[in-house]
Amino acid sequence: MVHGLLFRLRTLFRRHAAEGELDDELRFHLERQIAKYQILGMSEAEAERRARLEFGGLDQVKDECREARGINFVETLLQDLRYTTRTLLHSPAFTSCAVLTLALAVGANTAIFSIVNSVLLSPLPYPNPQELLAARQNDSRPNLKDIQRLTNSFASSGGVNINPMDFTGKGEPSRVHAAYVDAGLLATLGVQPMLGRWISADEDVKGGPRNIVVSYPFWRDFLGGDPHVLGKSIRLSGNGYTVIGVMPSGFALPKEPADIFVSLWVAYPEAAPLRGVHFMHTYWRLKPGVTLTQAQADIAQVDRRLAEQFPDGEKGRGTLLVPLHDWLVGNVRPALLVLFGSVGLVLLIACANFAMLLMARSVARQRELMIRASLGASNSRLIRQRLTESTLLALLGGAAGLVVAKIGTTFLLALKPAALRRFTAIHMDVRVFVFVFAISMLTGLLFVLLPAWSASRGDIAEALRENARATGSGASRGLLRSFLVSAELALALILLVGAGLLIKGFLRLRSVNPGFNPANVMTMYLQLPETRYPKIPLQTNFRRELLARINALPGVEAAMITDLPLAGNYVDHRVVIDGRPTPAVGTEPEVQTLSVMGDYFGVMQIPIRAGRNFRATDREGQPLMAIVNEAFVRQYLADQNPLGSRIDWTRRNEPHKWMTIIGVAGDVKHSGLSQPVDPAVYAPFSQNDEAWRRFMTLVVKTREPVAGLVEDMKKQVWSLDSQIPVSDVQSMDDLMAVSVAQERFNMLLLAIFAALAQMLAGVGIYGMIAYRVNQRTHDLGVYIALGAQHRDVLRLVMKDGIRLTLLGIVLGLVGAVALTRLMVSLLFEVKPTDPLTLIAVALLLAAAALLACYIPARRALSIQPIIALRCE
Amino acid sequence: MPSRSIDLPQGTLDLLILRTLALEPLHGWAVSERLQQISSDLLRVQQGSLYPALHRLERRGWIKSRWGTSENNRRAKFYELTKIGRRQLEIERDAWEKLTAVVSQILETA
Repeated sequence: MVHGLLFRLRTLFRRHAAEGELDDELRFHLERQIAKYQILGMSEAEAERRARLEFGGLDQVKDECREARGINFVETLLQDLRYTTRTLLHSPAFTSCAVLTLALAVGANTAIFSIVNSVLLSPLPYPNPQELLAARQNDSRPNLKDIQRLTNSFASSGGVNINPMDFTGKGEPSRVHAAYVDAGLLATLGVQPMLGRWISADEDVKGGPRNIVVSYPFWRDFLGGDPHVLGKSIRLSGNGYTVIGVMPSGFALPKEPADIFVSLWVAYPEAAPLRGVHFMHTYWRLKPGVTLTQAQADIAQVDRRLAEQFPDGEKGRGTLLVPLHDWLVGNVRPALLVLFGSVGLVLLIACANFAMLLMARSVARQRELMIRASLGASNSRLIRQRLTESTLLALLGGAAGLVVAKIGTTFLLALKPAALRRFTAIHMDVRVFVFVFAISMLTGLLFVLLPAWSASRGDIAEALRENARATGSGASRGLLRSFLVSAELALALILLVGAGLLIKGFLRLRSVNPGFNPANVMTMYLQLPETRYPKIPLQTNFRRELLARINALPGVEAAMITDLPLAGNYVDHRVVIDGRPTPAVGTEPEVQTLSVMGDYFGVMQIPIRAGRNFRATDREGQPLMAIVNEAFVRQYLADQNPLGSRIDWTRRNEPHKWMTIIGVAGDVKHSGLSQPVDPAVYAPFSQNDEAWRRFMTLVVKTREPVAGLVEDMKKQVWSLDSQIPVSDVQSMDDLMAVSVAQERFNMLLLAIFAALAQMLAGVGIYGMIAYRVNQRTHDLGVYIALGAQHRDVLRLVMKDGIRLTLLGIVLGLVGAVALTRLMVSLLFEVKPTDPLTLIAVALLLAAAALLACYIPARRALSIQPIIALRCE
Repeated sequence: MPSRSIDLPQGTLDLLILRTLALEPLHGWAVSERLQQISSDLLRVQQGSLYPALHRLERRGWIKSRWGTSENNRRAKFYELTKIGRRQLEIERDAWEKLTAVVSQILETA
C-alpha cells in the first residue's frame, strides 16, 4: 500500500516526466518491431503499418497505461470538472435552481442557527453557570439577607435594582444606569474587577463610604479609559463618589443594564432597610452538589417563617427559583424554537428539491450515460462524474449560502427585538455554517449516489432499446419523487399556517386600541436630583414652570405623567375605598398609581367617560382629587357611582387622606397591547405626598411634526436647571412600534420562511410536471394526433400534480394542527387551529401548486404531433 | 494473424509476464517477443495491451522498472521481478495449475 501510494505520488509530481517516459517506452517498442519486420524483408512502410496494427491504438494504450498507473486521478478530476462545468452551463435552469435551493437552505439555517446558538445554547458568561439561579419575584434587601442567613443551600446571593443617576462630568449631564447592589452580588456571579476591587461587605452598611465600581464602557467613554482612575472622585446625582474598581469589558449583569455599581445602603439608605420594598432582582449560587429542588424546599421554609413574622407585607411569599439561563431566555425561547423549527422545515424542503432535481437530471441524462458507457466509460468513472457534479453544485450552493448567511445574520440583527438586545455577541457562527453545509452536501451525495448507482447499473442494451422516453428505472423512483413532492407541499403548508397565524395575531394586536392617540406626541424623561429637589414644593414649582415654558412654544400642548403607557414602568399601590370594610392587611387590591400635571388626558386624547378632567385649580392646598380608569370602576366600584367615591392608599399609623374621584378616564393599555388593562388611579403631581416621585415624562403634542421640537424642549429644561439630564426621547408612535417589535420580528421571519418554502415547493412540483411532460412528449403527441382536445391533454398532464397537491395539503393540515400547538404562546387572540387561516392558507398553496403545474402543462398543449413522433 | 492462434483468457497475461520476467530483467518489447516465441505464436496477445499490464504490475509492486541500455544500444525501460512479485508468481502459478487440473479433469470425466 505504501509502495502504491509513493508510486502514485511520484507519478503525480513527475507527471510530465512520466508522460515522456511512457512515450519513450512505447516508441522503443514500435521501433524494435518495425526493425524486426524490416529484417524479415518488409518495406519500411509495410513494416510500420504492420507494427502499428499489431500494437493497437497508441492513444488508447497510453490512456490505459495512465489508468493502470493511477496517475489519472488528478487528471480525471480536472477532466470531470471541465466536463461538469460545461454541462452545468448548458442547463442554466437546473444549475441555478440547485444552487439557489442550497444557498437559501444553507444561508437561512446558518443565520438562524447562529442566533439560536448564541441565545439558547451558549453558556452564560459566568463561571459554573449551572449553579446560578434567579428568583422570579423581586425581593427586599432584609429578606435577601434573612434567606441567605437561614438557608444552607446557597454559597452566596446578591441583589440588584437599577436606578437612574445623573452623571455630571464634562458637557451635557448624562443619565446613567446605576446598579444599587449588595456586596454579595459579584461573588455570586463569580467575576472579578479588571482594576481595583468590588464593594466589600463592611462598606455595604448604613453610612458606608461613597465608593463605586464602574463598568468597562463607562470607564472607557466617560472616564477616558484612565488607568489611574482608582481613587478618583466623580459626581453622581449631586454627590461625590470614589471609584474603587473597573469591571472587565465582557462583564454584564444577567438582565440589567448597568453603567456603575454602588451599594444600596450608600446610594439609597432610605430603601435599604425596608422589608416591604421588593425591588431587587436576586441571584443565587448553589453550593456544589445541591439541587434546585433542595434549594427550593430550603427557601420555602424561610418564606413561611418570614410570612408568619411579617404578616404586613410578606404574607403571600412564595419565592420561585429558576435556573438563571431559563430565566434569561424564557421569553425568547418559544419564538426562537419556532423559528428554528421553521428553518429545519425549509432545509428539508430544500433537500427534497435538490434531490428531485438531481434525480430528474439523472433520468433525463440516462441515455447519454448509457451511450458513454457503451463507448467504454467504466461505471466508477460515470459515478465519479456525477459525484463531481453534485459536489460542485454543493460547493457553489455553499458559497452562495455563505453570502446569504452573512446578509441574513446582519438582517436579523438589524431587526432584532428588544429581547435579543442583551445578546451583543451574536455573529455568524462558522461552525454552524460548516455543519449545515456538510448536511446539505451529504444530502447531495446521497441522492446522487442513489440514482447514479441505478443509472450506471442499468443494462446498456436495454437502455438503448428503452429509449430516451423510458420512464427512468421504473416505478420505484417515480414513487419516491411523488412522495418528495407531496412532502414538500405538506411542509410548506405547515410553515404557511404558522405564518398565517402569526400574521393574523399581529394584525389583531396592531388593531388593538391603545386607549390614546399616539399621533404627533413626543415624549422625554426627566429626573430631578434629590440633592436639590428634596421637597415636594420645589419639585412642583419646577414642573409648573417647565410646563408653562413649553406650552408657551407655538403650536405646542404639553403635559406630564410619572410613567408613560407601553414604556414598561408603573408604580403600584394598595388601595382602600372609603365606606368599605377594610380587607385583611396585605390583601388590599393593588392598582397603578400615576401622577399627572397639565392636561394629560387632552394631550394623549384619552377620553373622560364620566365626570370631569383635572383643572389647574386641583392643586396643593385644595381638596384631593383623583381620576380612575374604567377597569378600576369595573373591578371595585361596579355597584356604586364612582363619582364622589373616596379612595386612598393603605396607610400605617397615620390617618387617611381621602381622594375624591371626580372623573373616569378611558382604559389605556399601559403594560402592552397584548396585556389586560390594570385598574389605575391618576392624581395631580401637585397634591402628591410622596417626595420620591422626582421623575416625570413630558408628553408634547403638536398639530404636525415640528422640526427642532426636541431641542426646544431640552433648552427649556436646561434654562430652568442646567444639571438635569434628559433621556428616553421618543415619539409615542415609536413606543407603539417598539412594544410590538417582538411580535413583528416573529411574524416577519416566519412569513419569510413560509414564502421561501412555498417557492421551493412550487419549484419542486413545477420541476416534476415539467419533467413528466418532457418524458411523455411522444405519448402526448400521439394523443393529440388522435384528436385529443386541449382540455383532455391538460387533464392528463395535471392529474398527477393535482393529486399530489391534494395529498400534500391534507398531510400538511394534519401536520399543522399537530405542530402549531407549540406556538400558542406566540399568538395573540388567535387559536392555533383557526379555521379561517387554515382554509385560506390551503387555498393559497393549492393555487400556487396549480399554477406551478399549469405552466408546464400548457407547454404540453403546444406539442406538435409530427415533431413528437419524430423524437423516436 | 494465424487462424490457429487463441485469445488469452482474462487475467492470465499477468501470470505470463511475471513468469517471463522471472528469468531475467527485460524491456517490454522483449517480453512480447519472448511470449510469442515460447508459445510458438499460438497465443494472440495484442502488443498494446502488454504495457498497461506492465504498469499495473509495477503499481502493485510486483515488478519494478529502471532505464537501461538495450542490446542494440538504445535507451529502454527494463522490468524485473520484485520479492513480492516472485512470491505472487508462485501463488498465481499454483492457482493456475489447480484451475487447469480441475478443468481438464472435468473435461475428461464428465
